[in-house]
Amino acid sequence: MIDQKLVTLSNGLNVLGERNPHSKSVAMGFFVNTGARDETDEESGISHFLEHMMFKGTAKRSALDVTYDLGALGAQANAYTSEETTVYYAAVLPENFEGLFELLSDMLQPAIDQAEFDTEKNVILEEIALYQDRPSFYLFENALLRHFSGHNAGNSVLGTTESVSAITSDQMKDYLTRRYAASNITLVVSGNFEWSTLQALAEEHCGQWPSNGTQRSYSEFTPENKTETLYKKDLSQAHILLIGDGVSAKSEERYALNILTTILGDGTGSKLYWKLVDTGLAESAGFELDTRDGLGVTYAYASTTPDRSEKVSDLLEEVLQNPLDFSLSDLERAKNKICSRLVLSGELPMGRLMSLGNSWIYRKEMHSLDIEVEKYRGIELVDIETALAGTPLKSWSKFTLLPEKN
Amino acid sequence: MKQKNEILSKTLPNGLVVLAQHIPHIKSAAYDVSFPGGLAMDDKDALGASLILAELTSRGTKNLNSRALSDAFDFDGIRHSESAGFSRYSYRGSLVADKIDTALTLVRDMILDPSLPKEEVASIKDLYLQDLISLKDNPSALAMIELQKRYLPEPFCRSQYGEESGIEGVSYDRLKKLWDDSYAPSKAIVSVAGAIEPERIFEQIEALFSRWEGEGHSPPEFTEFQSTGDHHVPYESAQQQIVFAYPSAPFLSKHYYTAKVVNGILSGGMFGRLFIEVREKRGLCYSVYSKHAGAKDYGMVTVYAGTTPERAHETLSVILEELNNVSGNIEEKELSRAKTNLLSGLIMSEESAASRSVTNSSDWYLTGKLRTLEEIREGIESVTVDDISDYLSEFPPNDFSLLTLGKRALTRDSVGGKR
Repeated sequence: MIDQKLVTLSNGLNVLGERNPHSKSVAMGFFVNTGARDETDEESGISHFLEHMMFKGTAKRSALDVTYDLGALGAQANAYTSEETTVYYAAVLPENFEGLFELLSDMLQPAIDQAEFDTEKNVILEEIALYQDRPSFYLFENALLRHFSGHNAGNSVLGTTESVSAITSDQMKDYLTRRYAASNITLVVSGNFEWSTLQALAEEHCGQWPSNGTQRSYSEFTPENKTETLYKKDLSQAHILLIGDGVSAKSEERYALNILTTILGDGTGSKLYWKLVDTGLAESAGFELDTRDGLGVTYAYASTTPDRSEKVSDLLEEVLQNPLDFSLSDLERAKNKICSRLVLSGELPMGRLMSLGNSWIYRKEMHSLDIEVEKYRGIELVDIETALAGTPLKSWSKFTLLPEKN
Repeated sequence: MKQKNEILSKTLPNGLVVLAQHIPHIKSAAYDVSFPGGLAMDDKDALGASLILAELTSRGTKNLNSRALSDAFDFDGIRHSESAGFSRYSYRGSLVADKIDTALTLVRDMILDPSLPKEEVASIKDLYLQDLISLKDNPSALAMIELQKRYLPEPFCRSQYGEESGIEGVSYDRLKKLWDDSYAPSKAIVSVAGAIEPERIFEQIEALFSRWEGEGHSPPEFTEFQSTGDHHVPYESAQQQIVFAYPSAPFLSKHYYTAKVVNGILSGGMFGRLFIEVREKRGLCYSVYSKHAGAKDYGMVTVYAGTTPERAHETLSVILEELNNVSGNIEEKELSRAKTNLLSGLIMSEESAASRSVTNSSDWYLTGKLRTLEEIREGIESVTVDDISDYLSEFPPNDFSLLTLGKRALTRDSVGGKR
């Protein structure tokens, strides 16, 4: 009933589809293998800024045309930029698939009009200001920068007011040509569509996209763990973040480590939950794995009142120092939680789209939902022990955000 | 034979209404059990008691202690939440459908047979007090709450976070009494949707909940909106928050779908007028939107914008101009775009069990019946430009209450806005 296919166009663009004729909608997305990590210091924030400019007009559409056309199709559309990927996606009813395909592929060739560029820059500066008012975001951003101390994996997605203000439209056009090569983009379609339609649309609208041999530049990262306290004016809660080693997105150990982070730090029913949240010591606490290209990190996070920050921080570290302190039934429960979430999120075309796209971008792998579930089902205690024999959870940087003292 | 996607209902002798919808081609199911209670019905000196109580019911039942209960949900991969909202308690969950029996049994145990462990109350209070502290670091949420406090009548003006004194002060005995008084089936709704058989759900709910007894609370009645003045809350932040609210069509009003369509024209997707004029053309904000909420006996539009202080004046001025411009100034194309979007979102939400279970329940709560997809589609499609004029003359978007939160005060007079 559900089938998958991969087609590579002559310019190198990969087209991945997962067809489910029972879906009420179809979702599509362009996954571009580029993000903050691929920016020079002068370009800091340009990937995200460019993502905004994709909605601001093409050779044949003004910015308003783009917006109104998306509206007329009833498209639920959006985009996001991360450290390593930029994704443009939308879902429509099946009868509007062709219209959406034409529009989204046109958007990926933006005009970068100077007046639109200048206006949108202000929107980005507002977005930076908005996030400055969110303490947990503020801490993450500053902590990553410090933890990676100069390595491009710690680059900020938004950039700073200064860096974004200085970006020119010529720089952006250059970045676009460099990074948006067909070979660096994957098109994913999921839900109710026909293969023949997809193939014809891809050839027609993306077949002529230029290609080049663009690559990410990699450099060795050796973590030096830091302990630092940051301060913010008029803050009410304290926030604690521990950043440690994880595994890369290609590592098979990610299954075992995802289960471990669920056991130790899931939002409910985890070690951290019982120790910190159930007891009322912390407002929230969590532990998760962030698998990236060629490296990976783990985050342990908690928010609490400033007077308890030391105690909470100690307890957080105590849980990480004893990662194997759990029972086999804890393991079984974590597996069941993960598998159930996979099934639930996989029911909607948009949920599958994200999973397929990320799995291809990082691993050139196309798994059905069933296979993904089987992978988690197959993890045993010994797999977690093996994963822990590597670098994860050996040591970490520790950052605390506290109210500025008057 | 029942039709595909048909929503079936059954009322048990104790008043409990069961709604069940089979959704084909999916593996999951979702439930939503709700009944009157929450902040609106908390005693004035115990605002937030219902929040504590809902959480307390999840900390153990007569059969399972807190840990065992949580483990039982997790073992079957059931995502669940137990909460007190403004006027309903709700117990919700999503799961792979073959676990529905376990899920409903656990929910029944929490509602009918909670152990209400006294020793857990202090830590629960601590959590909600921390939520209140954390709210101080969240300017956009804080601005909306401050506006609501000034604009809506008692008890509708109450913050969904409760109040520090109420949370700190409420005694264990009062929590127990609140459970006795409010946990009752007479106005309760159990809604289940997904890969389920409605008849089996009816049988199961009857078996689980027929011994539930009592009258419970009655939801409050809306009186009238309060002050329409301008307000300012001083606050240290990078962005200035601008929020305002004005009356609109309630759920049962003939203008309800028109209000939704007009909100689509103002704030739908990326094509709404506010987004286009404030963000796309002028780059004044990252976030600007309006929302229409239609409750049983009142409706309200809220407008939000967050911007740096130097752009706040122009932002407010453009928004006010757009609100004034809507009346008598709508193109067919724009109308059709707003409708297409509402309909497209509606059809897509049909394949989510969680969204169906919640919508079915809220429809029943508000109207005592269920709306079919066809009815909603018709309601939206039939809205005309004339309907919009009628709606706007009854609910003109200028009789509003404005609140700014940030470094400096802003009033509508200062930007030439009409009163």
